[in-house]
Amino acid sequence: MKLLFVSKLDRFVRAVNTITKYIETGKALGHEVAVFGEQSSEITSVPYSLDVDKFDFAIFVIYGPWDFPDLPYLARLLDGMPRGRRVIIDCNGRYNETIRVEHDFNHLEKLDGHQGWEWIEGFEAVSEKMLQPTLKPLRGDVRPFLFHAFDPAAVARPYRSPQEAAQAWSDRTNGAKPYGAVYVGNNWQRWSQIAPFLKALEPLKDQLGSIRLTGWDWDKRPDWAIEHGLKGVDVDPELLERLGVETTGAISFHEVIDLVGKGRFSPIFHRPLYNRLGLVTNRTFETFCADTIPLLMLPDDLVEPIYGSEALPLDPGADVAGRIKDMMRRPEVYWSAVLKTRAHLAEHHSYHQRFKELLTILES
Amino acid sequence: MNILFVMDRWVDRGSIQAAANYVRAGEELGHTIALYGREDPRFPGIRFSTDLHAFDYVVFIIESGLRWMSGLRMPGILNTVPRERRVVFDADGMYNQMIAVDGYDRNHRDESGRAEWLAYYDLIADKILQPTVEPQEPRVVPLPFYGYDPTSQLGAAPVKRFDIVHVGHNWWRWREVSSCLLPAIERIRPLLGNICFVGSWWDAVPAVHDPDLEGAFCVDPERLRRLGIQTRAAVPYTEVVCAMSQGRVNIMTQRPLFRRLKLFTSKYFEAFCADTIPLVMLDPDHAESVYGSAGRELALNGGISDRLLDVLRHPERYQQIVQEVRKHLAIHHSYRVRMQQLVVALQAGRPLARARGQLIL
Repeated sequence: MKLLFVSKLDRFVRAVNTITKYIETGKALGHEVAVFGEQSSEITSVPYSLDVDKFDFAIFVIYGPWDFPDLPYLARLLDGMPRGRRVIIDCNGRYNETIRVEHDFNHLEKLDGHQGWEWIEGFEAVSEKMLQPTLKPLRGDVRPFLFHAFDPAAVARPYRSPQEAAQAWSDRTNGAKPYGAVYVGNNWQRWSQIAPFLKALEPLKDQLGSIRLTGWDWDKRPDWAIEHGLKGVDVDPELLERLGVETTGAISFHEVIDLVGKGRFSPIFHRPLYNRLGLVTNRTFETFCADTIPLLMLPDDLVEPIYGSEALPLDPGADVAGRIKDMMRRPEVYWSAVLKTRAHLAEHHSYHQRFKELLTILES
Repeated sequence: MNILFVMDRWVDRGSIQAAANYVRAGEELGHTIALYGREDPRFPGIRFSTDLHAFDYVVFIIESGLRWMSGLRMPGILNTVPRERRVVFDADGMYNQMIAVDGYDRNHRDESGRAEWLAYYDLIADKILQPTVEPQEPRVVPLPFYGYDPTSQLGAAPVKRFDIVHVGHNWWRWREVSSCLLPAIERIRPLLGNICFVGSWWDAVPAVHDPDLEGAFCVDPERLRRLGIQTRAAVPYTEVVCAMSQGRVNIMTQRPLFRRLKLFTSKYFEAFCADTIPLVMLDPDHAESVYGSAGRELALNGGISDRLLDVLRHPERYQQIVQEVRKHLAIHHSYRVRMQQLVVALQAGRPLARARGQLIL
């Protein structure tokens, strides 16, 4: 099968890692996968193609309007690929009525210039098959397809036992873990979860070590958010200073696993809209590749269906500080959960698995 | 005829005022004009529709950006409306060779930028309309497009709060304003009352913009403050005439590129709907070709200080001139006339015959 992804790849955000994995996995399974467009000089590992006729299906991976190609290219794509062989993976839940959760939303005209109805009609003009990376789409005409997945080969340190993992994790003499906690993600609709998380860690500051936030706009509320009057792109510099939180800019997708592994813990947050819609992200799975204990700061109804029951100890619930203290006191118990969850993800949510699911959907 | 406008919608800039007037004038003449989209309370007086099958022509009103014609929005339109029923209205003169006026204002940053625009146009339609009577490119159909609405003429405004009002955004205007208008004001400042600039980006450069457009937003707020010039945020199209009416005098400036290409905008006519004396920073010959012979006396082309004082000292004389211009506009540039011109332009298989320097009437 020859698959052509259509999406605007950016080394720092969105689905770049996931699409890269589909390219690798497709090749391993005897398929050909490329991204529509002129060859990028920035992401050289990804093959691009404008030769639409050569491909069997076009898979639009959509976060925002920018993921559709600009007009001359778009016309070439739509002319070359019949509607019945186009699929949309709707990563932001755009193909729904307008939903707001806290300050988060699936449609916001003042940010991207499109009203809610345009998302519905626009998607339907492009394709008849809509997929969303959730187990429970709200609309009956959307098929669940998690899209993102786990790559067992990308696990930084595949320990043989929880004891080995706990021992390595507890060794603070080798400088491998300069941070108590690392979070990699951009400051977009996350502060309402990050702030209470940081406050919960405050009493543990001395035991835990420093905290690092890596991504766009963690140092201050960005000018563009102020100009547009956008909430949900917040930050409290005083709190960050008090806690000694280190903030650094966004990193490239291939640096994420290493950086996350420099922290003893790494929280997994989904933005409020995603929590409402049950949408998963690349980070949902990728965090388990890093040499860290993931903290599942996610809705209860998402944790077990995705990660399996062995992951439940990694969900700190309401008592984040208490659970982290226990993790530091009994790391073997929690590393056991991490390793079992990795095995679960490898069995049920690998890219091989996901690729086959996609082929089944395309051929259906 | 049923005509659907597709455009980037802003309440306080671009062609939205014209769109509202076409809706109204169309109704009077038995045409149905609508904007692509759904009903939106921010846009009173505008009919909206998403029924692409219901229109004879779809006119893409393209101003300073392309991105609004996104891949989300365009497939439905292009799939549904055949090419021969699609038309581009090139409001900003992008369908031209690269033009840079005095190394400052320009239509394209470079040839690759121009190629990108032209690729859009080529995909959308064969027919390209421009709001000028002197198009530079043979393929372009001249159509003034913007017009005068005699019915929206405001009676006496309650209070004249300013001697001088300027309504327009600080978009490629600073060079002319800072080199011509401000020095003229400076010379006579003690003799003038309040002055107000209404529009975006007079108080500060916007936080988010293309670094390539530094020159477009250039401004010296301190200089404006020193001259006692107030700045106010842009107003919606429904309040433009009222905002203009708060000034005894309104000054219309135009970005250099538009002056070079003699492109019409809404501002050419809006100030004449207001209860004010409009002074237009245009070449007197061009002013006369638009406003009639009386319009020559409203052209600000040198001697700005003296002209401003003269208007403020002899308002009755200038009000008579303005009345003459309004009569001319009502006859030659009303939206009823424009509506008929638009229908002709859409139906025509080739550019309208024209005499250089004269409007198609």
